[in-house]
Amino acid sequence: MALLEIENLHAAIDGTEILKGINLTLNTGEVHAIMGPNGSGKSTLAKVLAGDEAYEVTQGSIRYNGQDLLDMDPEIRAREGMFLGFQYPVEIPGVSNTYFLKAAVNAIRKHRGQDEMDAMEFLQLIRERAKTVKLEDTLLQRPVNEGFSGGEKKRNEVFQMAVLEPVLAILDETDSGLDIDALRTVAEGVNAMRSAERGFLVITHYQRLLNYIVPDHVHVLLGGKVVKSGGKELAKELEQSGYAMFGEQAA
Amino acid sequence: MNQPVESIAEQKSVYLRDFEHAPARDGEPEWLTALRRRGIEAFERRGFPHSKEESWRKTRLSQVANTHYTVQPAAGEASVLAGYRPAVEAGPCLVFLDGRFDAERSRWAELPAGVTAAPLSELDGAAATAVENHLGTLAPVDEHPFAALNTAFVQDVMVIHAARGSLSETPISVVFASSDSEEQAVYPRLLVVVESGAELRVVEQHVGGGANYLSCPVTELVAADGAILDYYRVQEPGDAARQLGTVSTRAGKDAAVRMHTLAAGGQLSRTDIYADLDGTGADVELNGLYLTEGRQFCDHHTWVSHNTEHTTSRQVFKGVLDGRSETVFDGLVKVAEGAQKTDAQQENRNLLMSKMALAHSNPRLEIYADDVKCSHGSTTGQLDKEALFYLRSRGVGPADAKSMLVFAFANEMLEPIKVSGLHDYERGLLFRRLPGDETVREVV
Repeated sequence: MALLEIENLHAAIDGTEILKGINLTLNTGEVHAIMGPNGSGKSTLAKVLAGDEAYEVTQGSIRYNGQDLLDMDPEIRAREGMFLGFQYPVEIPGVSNTYFLKAAVNAIRKHRGQDEMDAMEFLQLIRERAKTVKLEDTLLQRPVNEGFSGGEKKRNEVFQMAVLEPVLAILDETDSGLDIDALRTVAEGVNAMRSAERGFLVITHYQRLLNYIVPDHVHVLLGGKVVKSGGKELAKELEQSGYAMFGEQAA
Repeated sequence: MNQPVESIAEQKSVYLRDFEHAPARDGEPEWLTALRRRGIEAFERRGFPHSKEESWRKTRLSQVANTHYTVQPAAGEASVLAGYRPAVEAGPCLVFLDGRFDAERSRWAELPAGVTAAPLSELDGAAATAVENHLGTLAPVDEHPFAALNTAFVQDVMVIHAARGSLSETPISVVFASSDSEEQAVYPRLLVVVESGAELRVVEQHVGGGANYLSCPVTELVAADGAILDYYRVQEPGDAARQLGTVSTRAGKDAAVRMHTLAAGGQLSRTDIYADLDGTGADVELNGLYLTEGRQFCDHHTWVSHNTEHTTSRQVFKGVLDGRSETVFDGLVKVAEGAQKTDAQQENRNLLMSKMALAHSNPRLEIYADDVKCSHGSTTGQLDKEALFYLRSRGVGPADAKSMLVFAFANEMLEPIKVSGLHDYERGLLFRRLPGDETVREVV
């Protein structure tokens, strides 16, 4: 059974259709990359998968672990192991990173019938995971993303992913705005989590990230549709010729 | 107007009639009797505010004006005090029921030398002189009808006096409770005098049961040169109560007054806060949090006057509004001519938890000096949808996500509380208003 099965997905925001029939199958253990120019629908796909109510699914289906994903509220998707790394992480003044993550971890554990984590155990976990993405301890106590630099915000996303240990991680342009050192750190964080029990959907505008997170499959998204799928070499091809090679199909 | 003269002559308010028929107050000092008379005359002259008066336009007073609230001959049954524990466990806590001192329910604790806390009825010495010198000098007796009524009918005055250079780190608590008597009027009164170089922490609490009563508390806070006063006010009037009160403070040279208020409860509550920065270097901080629900109406008017050079004021008022509740924040910062180098900030933020809630916000500046730094800001909005989605996308349920955001918004006002016990108490009041389950209480 596939981890994620998207069939003929159409989605709209404010009455404008952005996704126009996406098909994609992702199996556990695989890393898929979705590439595409601005406005091709990459972020819409990510938000629809995570359950953002601003988007309306007008047609098609998404199955996650055999279940109807569109039937689940955003928090249920997260508790069932889905994670979205935001392109633009939200600042939440007054809510500390640590408290927020503790609430998230415990909500997920409760959903799975596990006991809540005790304070010591939890602190140990987050310190250890923060190290893997080189996130400074002081940022753990700060309000979520408030006053974080662009790079810190993205690292914070990967840090949260490392703590929550999702089954399917969707990373929406986690590389944008990162310098090469930060990019490497983020990629290392992701690679450390690659396993046979986990799938990744990596959304990116640039091929650069895929030098560090090497995908099993690459899909090119254009005009709300997957116009080509292939292996990792497709990313290289794109890098050389650009999205123009799909120009006619895009139109 | 065109009413016959005779009928005006007969127009005596029920309050004046009550005043004239009040039992004799044996042994009351003359100055207090004179002050009472000033109060009733001011009320008689002024009457209840007209709905067209600018500063009273949004406060619906018809119910108050049409009910004859009377002072009860003795304190009534107080269900609110059964099993009641004051917010602050340390230090003395003086309890007043229906405006009368209740020695049995009060808690005594030793105070440092020079610090006095007692009802006027049991007071003598330097503190008694201070009362005579200060009572009624700050409260807007002549302009504010409810301050006038209080002044006319006050039963007893809670007096806290810190002599020159004295210091009390232990907070002094005052609880003004209202009993279950219907349609009674209660006139709580507090006078705090912090003499030169003294430092004091005071907690004033208002609680009441389910009766329809009118409470008109008047508080006067005098901070002499170099004095420091931390004043905390927690208002929890009963569900059917009308509370209309004033808090007035005057800060002398290099004096600091830090005021923190929390308003929760009451059918209608209005607090008018007057701060006069009279001495160079005076510093006044006004922080307020109001939590409303149902059909509550909650109003804060502030009047901050920078009367001389190099004075600083900071105001932050935040509201969390639910149900069909309505709130008013109307704040005036006035910088007098010649009050150069004034630094005044004012901010009002409202969070609407319901589509039916309504927040009025009216920050005002009146500046008559040219070398000043003044700013004001006001925002009213609902919970940030993106933030809610972000939290939910991490597994946090919608009610808990809301709770976290509301808590974060309001908690900023609770963080500066320096009195242990009070901080937890106010957090408790806030927690009761959060929609989520236990999660937020555990993680914050």
